[in-house]
Amino acid sequence: MSAREVALPRGRKVQIAEAGDGPAAVYLHGIADIHGASFGWLPFHEALAERLALIAPAHPGCAASSEDEALETVDDLVFHYLELFDALGLETLRLAGSCIGGWIAAEIAVRHPERIERLALVGPTGLFVPRAPIADVFWETHPADGVSFAALRGLLFGDAGSETARAMFPDLRGDIDQEVLRYQLFRFASRIGFNPPYLHSRRLAERLGRYRAPALVVQGADDRLGPRRHGEVYAEGFADARLEIVDGAGHSAFAERPGAVAALVADFLAGP
Amino acid sequence: MHPVQLFHWHFMAYPYLPDDFDERFDTGWVTVPNRLWDRERTDGLYQEYIDQLAEAAGLGFDGLVLNEHHQNIYGLMPSPNIIASALTQRTERAKLVVLGNLLPLHLNPLRVAEEYAMIDSISGGRLIAGFAVGGGPEAYNYNIPSPQSRQRFWEAVDLILRTWTEDGPFEHEGPSYPLRYVNIWPKPRQTPHPKVWIPGSLSAETMDHVARRGFDYFLSSRTHGAATRQARERFADILERHGDAYHPFRMGVLLSVYVAETDEQAKEEAEEGVWYFLKYCLKGHLRRTGRTLTFGPGVPSQSVRSWRAFLENSTPGAPMLGDADDWEELESKASIVVGSPATVREKLWALIEQAEVGNLLIQFHFGNMEDSLARKSARLFAEQVAPDLRARSAELFARKYPALADRPAASAAE
Repeated sequence: MSAREVALPRGRKVQIAEAGDGPAAVYLHGIADIHGASFGWLPFHEALAERLALIAPAHPGCAASSEDEALETVDDLVFHYLELFDALGLETLRLAGSCIGGWIAAEIAVRHPERIERLALVGPTGLFVPRAPIADVFWETHPADGVSFAALRGLLFGDAGSETARAMFPDLRGDIDQEVLRYQLFRFASRIGFNPPYLHSRRLAERLGRYRAPALVVQGADDRLGPRRHGEVYAEGFADARLEIVDGAGHSAFAERPGAVAALVADFLAGP
Repeated sequence: MHPVQLFHWHFMAYPYLPDDFDERFDTGWVTVPNRLWDRERTDGLYQEYIDQLAEAAGLGFDGLVLNEHHQNIYGLMPSPNIIASALTQRTERAKLVVLGNLLPLHLNPLRVAEEYAMIDSISGGRLIAGFAVGGGPEAYNYNIPSPQSRQRFWEAVDLILRTWTEDGPFEHEGPSYPLRYVNIWPKPRQTPHPKVWIPGSLSAETMDHVARRGFDYFLSSRTHGAATRQARERFADILERHGDAYHPFRMGVLLSVYVAETDEQAKEEAEEGVWYFLKYCLKGHLRRTGRTLTFGPGVPSQSVRSWRAFLENSTPGAPMLGDADDWEELESKASIVVGSPATVREKLWALIEQAEVGNLLIQFHFGNMEDSLARKSARLFAEQVAPDLRARSAELFARKYPALADRPAASAAE
């Protein structure tokens, strides 16, 4: 993996991880993900990089990307990423995102469908679905009894006790650098996703039809952060999309079943 | 003379929780079910609490303190301004301290500027205006995104001060509260404006904002002498950097006190209310058992740098005030002072002497404490603790802060 910084207007810096060869694909990270709970690539990303030139920027305020005090809404973020694509010289690109990264990717795609050739979302948040709210991940970042993060792992993973889940969100306090990395992620996420509660924009669903190029939506069968209906609404809303449900995984399917999810996403993104 | 200023602080806890509350509910905040509210037993509850405050004013306390909380059993004042307004009609000299209105929870800071100006006018200029960001649970109550809340808070504070000190109409350009016509009626009674108190829990960032604006700092953690002294030293340094100088009335501190005739009697009478307060009211706030929403990655209001500093200087799972298991442990933390008048005098004097803090904001009522006990404690304090603290502190402050001699005396007790 190579890492570098890209400069944007207003003095902002974006940290970018890059790997692999092939068609350029930008990957927007989620919570249990690179730049969110892991400093480096996960097996999922390494598998993608075998087929794609993968570019994974850290969201503003995450990892070494500079924090943007002016950032208040997901719209601000869409402009942030348009500026980044411009800076990278990517007139058109393939775009993927997981969790909140999936939400942001969808927001970009409905605004600028002409720039996104293919769109892959894994466990995306972002939708308001009446009576099927996205769960409160912020609440669960406060450990029960001061020490246990079992409930947070329960929202983010199908199996809260799995090794992967425990490595990213250990009970007690982990290494301070990792704690700070996670704090940065939640600080970023709450800027755009704490109000309205949680992690969605109310009118995204009615705009999905603007994106007419191929889309893939992947959701863990046991996703407890985003209800199944969210994956379905995404897939029904885009003009040309299919929904894949991955068994044996929860919200962070890409981390829980990296081989299966990477195969789906790489096949799709590397397509014509 | 400038003796220590003694304030009576009432949190107005909900006192009728079931005995098995701790087993059945994991928090007393945000999600504690409001079906627990007993409509019949609570008839007269606000009146009882208001009476305790009014009586304290009659006993010569320099002021009464109220604060804003939402959706919890710890404090039943979603709008402390309503209680302050009632107190304007029950008191004549006591300062009315609203500490404070939680500005990020208010849609428009003008409303706060207006209500405070009304309270100041109705009370004949007795308001001390507190402004606070609001703790972690409040972020959930109103879904306030924490990273933005401090920036919005200070914009709101500055706008409110402008409404009080500048003639309107004027325009406020924002960014968070853009307004074309700012022109409040009435302005506050006090000129240039009521004193402003800002609570903090030791963060240098907050102290710096307070110092830059010439406000007073209030340390909101129930700490003992050494920690309060450390806060005072830090604040004094920061004031100096801003070309200002510390004196004891630039800072206040929160204390919890119960006084009875003897040490044994005090413990016996206070115990039920104190445990109710620690185990029920603090559950979800300053207690590890259950889920504490006070701070953490889910309410990321601190800058990343401050969070790193916090991690480096704290122990995960370290016990908090509500985690004390027995009376001895509680005593050793010195967060709650219980005893005879002589015991309380000496403990508070030690704090004043060590910390040189001039505003003591004292909680007398704990959790489900009986009305008669809360009143007796405040009375014993006023009669047998306060006079001595006032005399000794006036002498100490005059000796250590000679510049105070040029200030007008502010005590309602004089």
